[in-house]
Amino acid sequence: MRRIWAVATNTIKQALRMKIGVVFMVLLLVLLPVLGMTTTGDETLKGRLQTFVSYGLSLTSFLLCLLTIIISIYSVTSDIDQRQIYTVITKPIRRFQLLFGKLLGVLVLDIALLSVFSTIIFVLAIYTPVFTRPSESELIEADNEFFTARAALNVPPADVTEEVMDRYEKLKELDRLPPGYTYEQTIAELTKQAQLAKRAAGVGDMLVWEFNNVKPLSNSLFIRFKYDIFPNPPDSQVYGEWLAGDWQFLKYGQRPKTPIYDQIHKNAARTFHEIEFPAGVVPEDGRLGIAFVNVPYNNSAVIFPPDGLEVLYKADTFAGNFIRAVLLILFRLVFLACLGLFASSFLSFPVAILFCLVVFFTASFSGFVNDSFSLLSHNVGVFYSYTIQWIVGLLPQFDKYNPTKFIVPAKLVNWSLLARCVFFMVCIKALLALILGLIIFRYREIARITV
Amino acid sequence: MEYAIETISLTKIFSDWWGRTKVFAVDNLDLQVRHNEVFGLLGPNGSGKSTTLKMLLGLLHPTKGKAIVLGGDGADPKINARIGFLPEESYLYRYLSARETLDFYGRIFGLAPKLRKMRIEALLDMVGLKAVANRAVGTFSKGMARRIGLAQALINDPDLLILDEPTTGLDPIGTRQIKDLILKLAERGKTVLLSSHLLADVEDVCDRIAILYGGKIQSQGQVKELLQQTNKRQIMTDALSDETVEKIKQLIQAESSECVVTSPLDKLESFFIRTVTAAQQQAQPTSGAVSTTKIGDFLTQQQTTESILDKLVAAPVSEETPQEPPATQKVAAAADSGSEPNEELLSRLTDSTEPPQPVPRVEEKEKVGTQPVDSHPVEQEPEKESILDKLVGRSPPEDGGEQETDKPQAGESGDA
Repeated sequence: MRRIWAVATNTIKQALRMKIGVVFMVLLLVLLPVLGMTTTGDETLKGRLQTFVSYGLSLTSFLLCLLTIIISIYSVTSDIDQRQIYTVITKPIRRFQLLFGKLLGVLVLDIALLSVFSTIIFVLAIYTPVFTRPSESELIEADNEFFTARAALNVPPADVTEEVMDRYEKLKELDRLPPGYTYEQTIAELTKQAQLAKRAAGVGDMLVWEFNNVKPLSNSLFIRFKYDIFPNPPDSQVYGEWLAGDWQFLKYGQRPKTPIYDQIHKNAARTFHEIEFPAGVVPEDGRLGIAFVNVPYNNSAVIFPPDGLEVLYKADTFAGNFIRAVLLILFRLVFLACLGLFASSFLSFPVAILFCLVVFFTASFSGFVNDSFSLLSHNVGVFYSYTIQWIVGLLPQFDKYNPTKFIVPAKLVNWSLLARCVFFMVCIKALLALILGLIIFRYREIARITV
Repeated sequence: MEYAIETISLTKIFSDWWGRTKVFAVDNLDLQVRHNEVFGLLGPNGSGKSTTLKMLLGLLHPTKGKAIVLGGDGADPKINARIGFLPEESYLYRYLSARETLDFYGRIFGLAPKLRKMRIEALLDMVGLKAVANRAVGTFSKGMARRIGLAQALINDPDLLILDEPTTGLDPIGTRQIKDLILKLAERGKTVLLSSHLLADVEDVCDRIAILYGGKIQSQGQVKELLQQTNKRQIMTDALSDETVEKIKQLIQAESSECVVTSPLDKLESFFIRTVTAAQQQAQPTSGAVSTTKIGDFLTQQQTTESILDKLVAAPVSEETPQEPPATQKVAAAADSGSEPNEELLSRLTDSTEPPQPVPRVEEKEKVGTQPVDSHPVEQEPEKESILDKLVGRSPPEDGGEQETDKPQAGESGDA
């Protein structure tokens, strides 16, 4: 351990004295307060906070990711290139100890820098209301929709298998199956239609959703939604009546166990909006019902996109949530440090950097990458499922565990999400990279060939 | 453990990407280095010296054959703990200071903080870099870097020193110092394996040599035996009157032998040092930086070197050396060249009249700007002594540590 720590401190000194780390630190130390001063968002306090924290966290995360990649690779490849490793590895230190030392050094540096910068962001965010002197309503809005951690409940896609099968049989009987479609394609198309129907409300129709285990900590809960509308009215505005309360009442008209609240809103289509209900609408068993009525004077069908409806309620404090969000960044850095060591165990500096950057950016858009490849897979099924799918599966999903995605809409980063992130990103993917790196480094020839 | 280092048909083939053989860097090398000897690997550039050393230490994997170092694998940390290695260049972390560099290596050896600190100070003193100990080694000249490189190789008080061209980049004075140091270490029971293409270096310090070419040993044996001309005799005296010379000539002619009387030639090294010194002195006015008080510093350093080494190494010295007769006789001679009887011995062995001048009246060019120490050599010496006494001699825990590391060494030199 003493030896590992010796290597770790040396790595930290290297990062600091070779000015790689310093550049990033100065950049962040300057940029973060400047961001805090200049961001205004949509001129409200909430908008200002959201913009600042979003940019601040993204910038910190991005720069620390780059820093981690560079330091972890440089500390190994420079040792090999400049041959300091000749004198180090011939001392009583095992090769895995050397790599562990480098990893430890990078991680200690990461933890220190991440703590400093996230503290700066946190403090600046907390004190923004003090400096900007917002109106009372803005302050309440910021408290309810930013300085909080709200659990988000989504509507899962409806199970329409039975319906689809019925419809398929019927079409088959009538011999009206679409020509040129395979069985799978027909089913997929029918499923899509059926699910769309579940999310659509014709003029005067009502949609009812059920949410379980709703346990709000504060006095209010929020519905976050986005409309699609067809045909589009000239002003793109949608009138909607929203009801919240006991699910049994909304669905079956039974005697309500809670007060039922009813609001009519006019909102623009295709952007997210939030409306607030008192927490009293949630019955004791936690089964909340939400209903939307497409009021007749819309004269258009209203459709909710697949991710277009959420119920949000306070489940934790802002500080706790912020710390967990920062931990998401840390796990990302752990992965990149391991990846950097893996790359530098067999690649030279520029190639290893390139390799890691490709992985980093691919991982940052993993959702998009996965989608594109699965689209591609229709044409190259077997080849895909044995090669690319496997490789893409090994990439971490940085966008899925993106902290700003949670902090900006004040969504709860729950522990199970954090645990999943640790398990997949650190325990499996990072460890795999590290072990591979250790094996390669253990057996490679350290000295350059000189004859 | 008969040998400190033994290789058994060690072979290294460098192949291209397709696995086709390109070069036999080392070819079926059978090398034996005994305990407590200074062994020199000689050869022109690219003859496989460095490759051999790297294979000994596990930096390169042999294509075929085996290398046994101190009875084990040279890549094994347990063995590494007893080896000091100086690569062909001192590859140092540019951003660390001299002291931090040594501290880093000391920590990798797992030395306890107190012992580490003591050794670092002693080594800095020894290599004469105490004054610049807090400067980043990236700013060091090649010679200074070499000294730090040597210091890091000694920090674990190794039983076996592997030095790859230890004197490259050093000026003649630095070279002389390193050679003296090697001899002193050998005197204290260390085994030294060095590679070099500088014949003078090897001739001066090595007991045995092997000459490599094309990765194969072309010739090996004791330096003395290889070089001695047994069919000739040389008599060395002080200046004699012509009369006496005539008498001697007659005596010899009576034995019907040829006889040539000349004044003996100076050693090339001494001549070289003098020449370079003169050249340096001429060059100085143009470079601007002049300092002429360096001689004292070197004298001081040598003496400190001795005292520090005595304590640092603390191995059996004079009592045990007779066990290695041919090696240590010469060793003792060259190492203690300052004293009278050794001078004689040395001149007898090296066929030269002039006693070696370990420290000629020279200032080392590279140190001109960087070593203000030099101006107080007299003050410093007793101070160094006392610090060392305090650190090494008196303090019980460190003393214990020292003895521990030294015990096996004493045993080995006995075995050999």
